[in-house]
Amino acid sequence: MTADERLIAYLDGELSAEDHAAFEAEMAADPVLAATVALHRSLEARIAETYAPVLAESVPPGLTALASAANDPGRRRSAWPQWAAMAACLALGVVGGRELWPERGLLAPEGPALVARGELDKALTLQLASDTGPVKVGLSFKASDGHYCRTFEAGAEHLAGLACRRDGRWEAQTTTAWSPQPAADYRTASSVVPPAVLAGVDALRQGETLDAAGERAARDRGWRP
Amino acid sequence: MAGFEREIVELLPRLRRLGRVLARAPADADDLVQITVERALSRRGQWRPGTRLDSWMFRIMKNAWIDETRARSRRGALFSPPEAGEGVGADGAAEMETRLAAVEVERAMANLPPDQRIAVALVLVEGFSYQEAAEVLEIPAGTLTSRLVRGRMALLAELGEAGP
Repeated sequence: MTADERLIAYLDGELSAEDHAAFEAEMAADPVLAATVALHRSLEARIAETYAPVLAESVPPGLTALASAANDPGRRRSAWPQWAAMAACLALGVVGGRELWPERGLLAPEGPALVARGELDKALTLQLASDTGPVKVGLSFKASDGHYCRTFEAGAEHLAGLACRRDGRWEAQTTTAWSPQPAADYRTASSVVPPAVLAGVDALRQGETLDAAGERAARDRGWRP
Repeated sequence: MAGFEREIVELLPRLRRLGRVLARAPADADDLVQITVERALSRRGQWRPGTRLDSWMFRIMKNAWIDETRARSRRGALFSPPEAGEGVGADGAAEMETRLAAVEVERAMANLPPDQRIAVALVLVEGFSYQEAAEVLEIPAGTLTSRLVRGRMALLAELGEAGP
């Protein structure tokens, strides 16, 4: 093992306990070695910080839909015998109007849009933030183009996102993988909204999010702009 | 959705992060993630339940990246360098200083030979052990170690003095 190999193995926690202790004893006696270790440590932190923000970005809905597409193998076989070959030809998010998810799915592509279906469509249209159900609705607000948008979390599907009401349907703007947190963490409606979805809210909203009365009034008007 | 698909959806943020280390430009990185997911779905029979899905998918991504890099170089269309400010940390609210530091790291990573870049990504960004990283890359432990040492030393030479 060269000196560099030993140094890097120490940094990565790959030395045996005995060698690790021996290395630290050398460091204590050798300020140059200790400084080199410190430089590597600060570099490690910079690299981790550089790429960490990607984890908080919202995942493009097309990728989430693609990964969820095979969720019913029976249907997939019958409908798409050459799924793998076809998938390679499909542009992200554009799936020729085919329904990617089975009937009980929450989102289906319509043209270039991912549109809420089933339980999700029902929850976005009818539920208030204070209501409970298989899908939970969080924040509601008016986007700068005048349309209403709402955030949602579907625990069973491990999916959260943001959808806006256009042309009588809910179009997903952002979706992200999401897992329910223990109930003790639910303090306010906004505390359940994942950061990636919140970023979408901040990008779209004009003015404040709706309060309970505003939300109810908008629902009762059928979310018309 | 079924367990396999749900686990893939949960892995998407990490796949996108590794993609960003490899391909750098966000659009190229997401293309790489798309190819990886398509391959994983079409080869799901090859995944052994009880083994790590992340390692399996990273291996698929590594191979997809190699294939894609070769295909693009044949066509003369290399992975594009990102537009200024388009890479990670390009959030409008991010501090300019943080962004510049991130751009420096991205550039230094992009300057590493591909073998070293992916070794560094798995160990430093993903936190894999040497054995886990060697398995993802399908190389002997000694090869992984030497790529890692060369990669880390090169990064230190490029970034160490200009640290924050």
